[in-house]
Amino acid sequence: MNFYLTYVLVASALFAFTALFTLFALYSERKISAFIQDRLGPMEVGKYGSLQAFADILKMLQKEFIIPTAADKILFILAPIIIFVSVYLGFAALPWAPGLIPASLNLGIFYIFAVLSIETLGILMAGWGSNNKYALLGSMRSVAQMVSYEIPTGLSILSVVMISQSLNLQEITIRQGILSSEAVNFLGIYDVKAIGGILSWNVFQAPHLIIAYIIYFIASLAECNRAPFDIPEAESELIGGFHVEYSGLRFAFIFLAEYSMMFLVGMIGVVLFLGGWNSPLPNMGSVSLANWTTGIGWGIFWILLKTLSVVAMQIWIRWTLPRFRVDQLMSLCWKVLTPLAFLCMLISGIWRLTMM
Amino acid sequence: MNTEQLIFYFFAALLLTSALMVVAMQNLVRSIFLFFVSLFSLAALYVFALADFIAITQVVIYVGGVLVLMLFAFMLSNKELLNSLQPIKTGFKFYQLTGIFICLAFLFILVSLNLQIDFSGLKWIKSSTTIKEIDNTTHNIGILSMTRYLLPFEVLSVFLMMALIGAAHLARKGNKI
Repeated sequence: MNFYLTYVLVASALFAFTALFTLFALYSERKISAFIQDRLGPMEVGKYGSLQAFADILKMLQKEFIIPTAADKILFILAPIIIFVSVYLGFAALPWAPGLIPASLNLGIFYIFAVLSIETLGILMAGWGSNNKYALLGSMRSVAQMVSYEIPTGLSILSVVMISQSLNLQEITIRQGILSSEAVNFLGIYDVKAIGGILSWNVFQAPHLIIAYIIYFIASLAECNRAPFDIPEAESELIGGFHVEYSGLRFAFIFLAEYSMMFLVGMIGVVLFLGGWNSPLPNMGSVSLANWTTGIGWGIFWILLKTLSVVAMQIWIRWTLPRFRVDQLMSLCWKVLTPLAFLCMLISGIWRLTMM
Repeated sequence: MNTEQLIFYFFAALLLTSALMVVAMQNLVRSIFLFFVSLFSLAALYVFALADFIAITQVVIYVGGVLVLMLFAFMLSNKELLNSLQPIKTGFKFYQLTGIFICLAFLFILVSLNLQIDFSGLKWIKSSTTIKEIDNTTHNIGILSMTRYLLPFEVLSVFLMMALIGAAHLARKGNKI
């Protein structure tokens, strides 16, 4: 029975984490955007507006559930749940520290890729169920964008998987640090297994993965519907996209899904390309920093630090770049990112055969 | 009954009811969304057969691809056209008799085979090695599709290439077709 209790505990811990992260990200997004636009941001609630996120949540909890009369009620109610659950399921296979992973699946990354594709279905459900032309247009745009950008994402993930020869995220991480059982080659030449640190990350093991990571990062922005790829939400054209009709707790769930998705794609990128929970500090002679900073506590610290920096970058990009037009978005995906990702995959194959 | 059996019967029942409702439902969009439930429970049944790779591929291809495509086709098509499709004539028709007959024949074959076979004594079940839950099935699939099943694999890839070229040709604009 303890067996099932652990499952429930782990799942609730992950849920609590997504909720906490959303609160934190809400506040930091406001503060970062204010800094970029030379404003102060929230200052009223609490010291430096630090309680603003809690006030927002409190407001959302109090709001009434509004279901439009002509809406398809079942689809309308189910959609936010499906959107959130599909993102939340992805957290199950992510490694947090050496030996600390909720479910060490042999097919980890493939599983995450699969459950994230369910989110598109939830968005279509929301768009259709709302019975609102703006919602429908927003959801169509969103799905067209997500389905297209899944291709460069998938290909750049494949180029990493070809290098590390495993779909298990924990194994991919272990192969990028001092705990690896195989040789870790910096730039494919120098063996840095004993040194570890930043030199043994996948992007430095095979330098073409830097391009793959940039492709992955751009495509992941599009998959979370974040600016500059936020045409599904385009306030000036579509009011708010597929979630126009949602209010209260249901809207909160869509919001939670969006922010959890940001963290999820950031963390997948970190695990695949930037060493996961491995320490960035190398062993230098008698000062074995990498050995000292590897462990369960340090693992969680490093992966949180790396992922939160990636999330900060996503927020920074959102408030600096203007929105893409639909045709620009599609031509960027199909004419630039997809061929480049194919090239990366090809180089990975050659790299695997010749350098390793 | 242990927990695994309970979960198995739950998904099997879910699959059957949702599949029946997909056919019987009048509202087309809802029936497409119900199709998602049946595809997902089919994926769960694949997991029970220890075919985790197939289960996940099922979700990626059918849920992320085919189902979204169906919804797109539905939402982009003319509403008048859909309305003319909506009413389904009730009452018994002669052509339904052939359908019923075929279904009954299949049921007869299945039941009679099930009664004749002694499952535990089958030769290929006894001789083959069993897969464990922790085995890496992807590894086997990769090696087998590059060695034993290389020809079907290559034929499939050529076939998909043909479909891609055809789609690109149809989508291309220009005066000559």
